[in-house]
Amino acid sequence: MIKAIIVDDEKLARDIIKAYLQNFAQVEVIAECGDGFQGLKAIQEHEPDLLFLDIQMPKITGFEMLELIENPPVVIFSTAFDQYAIKAFELNATDYLLKPYAEERFKGAVQKAIDKIQTKASAQKEIETLTEKREELSEGIERLVVKTGNKIHILGLDQIAHFEAQDDYVAIHSDQGKFLKLMRMKHLEDNLPSDDFIRVHRSHIVSIKHIEKLELYEKDSYLLSLKTGSQLPVSRSGHSKLKEVLKY
Amino acid sequence: MNHPFLKNKGIIFYTAAWLFIAILFGLALRYFYDFSTKEANIDSFIFNGTFYGLGLAFWFVVRYNSFDSSQILNLVVSHLAAAALSVAAGVFITLTILKNILPQTEESLIYLNSSVAWRSGLGLLYYAVLILVYHLIKYYDDLRDRGQQQAQLETMLKESELEMLKSQINPHFIFNSLNSIASLTITAPNQAREMVVKLSDFLRYSLGKENHQLNTLEEEIANLMLYLEIEKVRFGDRLQVETQIDIEALNLTLPNLILQPLIENAVKHGIYESLEDVTIRVTAKTENGILRLFMTNEFDPKAVSKKGKGIGLKNVRERLRVIYGVPKLVFTETNENLFTVRLDIPQPNEK
Repeated sequence: MIKAIIVDDEKLARDIIKAYLQNFAQVEVIAECGDGFQGLKAIQEHEPDLLFLDIQMPKITGFEMLELIENPPVVIFSTAFDQYAIKAFELNATDYLLKPYAEERFKGAVQKAIDKIQTKASAQKEIETLTEKREELSEGIERLVVKTGNKIHILGLDQIAHFEAQDDYVAIHSDQGKFLKLMRMKHLEDNLPSDDFIRVHRSHIVSIKHIEKLELYEKDSYLLSLKTGSQLPVSRSGHSKLKEVLKY
Repeated sequence: MNHPFLKNKGIIFYTAAWLFIAILFGLALRYFYDFSTKEANIDSFIFNGTFYGLGLAFWFVVRYNSFDSSQILNLVVSHLAAAALSVAAGVFITLTILKNILPQTEESLIYLNSSVAWRSGLGLLYYAVLILVYHLIKYYDDLRDRGQQQAQLETMLKESELEMLKSQINPHFIFNSLNSIASLTITAPNQAREMVVKLSDFLRYSLGKENHQLNTLEEEIANLMLYLEIEKVRFGDRLQVETQIDIEALNLTLPNLILQPLIENAVKHGIYESLEDVTIRVTAKTENGILRLFMTNEFDPKAVSKKGKGIGLKNVRERLRVIYGVPKLVFTETNENLFTVRLDIPQPNEK
């Protein structure tokens, strides 16, 4: 039996998925969720094999929810009109349904998902590539969603003082605390608004608003003090970028 | 550009001016040369008549020479040539005719020969004055043309600006509504039919309106309610709507669909970004002949929302400014978890 969860903020959109799924005796809908928070909870609780996921939802988007899942199931997106989503999926093998969709189209997508689950195909890998693709296509970061234990935090960019590279993770230092997130510094550097954030060092990206002062530390070496009290090293190229932005 | 004296009543003014000159000329001849009235009149008529005709042709010298600093030499040369030719022709024609008409005495022959100098001088003066007049006319015409073009350009600009500010129907809304309909056809076909009709009515109203058109509040509110009813089908009890519309406000006018972006914002910040039930309040009343509209929605002040940096609101503000020419007609207020937009819509004067 394949366990499926539907996450969509519109009841009627969930209803039609359930109705179409009645043709698949081997698929059972074990939970329905109206937003990403509920979705996360249900996924942790039930560990489903298949996820039907809307993208635009209250609080956190389907993408953001997916980022927070460690072993994501096979995902079928269903979305109304989202050019970025369409682009992302076109570059990727993962299936998506454009609302409203035909029953035949739906059947095809589910059949593909079932094949994948039954052959234990590398679903995990697929999600990773999807996330990567999304990173590449990302049109700029506006907020970050992180999870600690069972709590989800949505961090606005103005709440973040600096980012610090830690192996495969990035530590986000925000006024809600410090969070680890699996991502690359390069992606942050490319997609954060360049007016607000500067990469001052291989391992550090800093929020300009949070800068307190810049001091000469040793010859050719600078130290950046933040309003939060943290001190960060500044590389030579980082220093020239700072000079340009701060105009001193 | 047509000849200024050959269109409308120009020829009358032109002829009158020449008649006046001819009379002065005749009087002068009688005074200086002791001519008989008849001879003076003949001379004056022939000489001024010739230049009357030539003068009409001077227009083309002005018409086909642009007054452009880069071509100042060209201009001078062509004027000199035109002046010399036309004055020579004018004097020659006059003398030839006069020699045949006037009594052929020694005296009159001497007079005619000696008159070549002042006739040429006078001809040049005629030329100069006429050219000046033509230039003034041309300049004035150009100025008026440019003014008209400017006005036309401004109208076009205003129209395209309004076109851009017009709210576009959110495709997300349409496709999600269609998906809801697809779903309803399975579970509740009657409701699906109802929703198809509502969506069609809404689209018909929203797509079919000219931008300039002012609609009554009654029509606009009806369309707004249609939109909200469709959203209610999508979101169920999560969306509550309260309206309070003064009866006397119903016949007042407002730009079509001006409320649409605002209600979409309210739904977006209320419903799309919130997990709670949300109430949207629409209020309309008249105050001092102004239609005053309020739209209030609940929102989550703690939400870290994505996108939507007030484009809809900005467009509404701009559109009202362009239509009514009044800078500030949109007011917003945030009060804890309530966001209110107020529009003050001026009313056209009574017919």
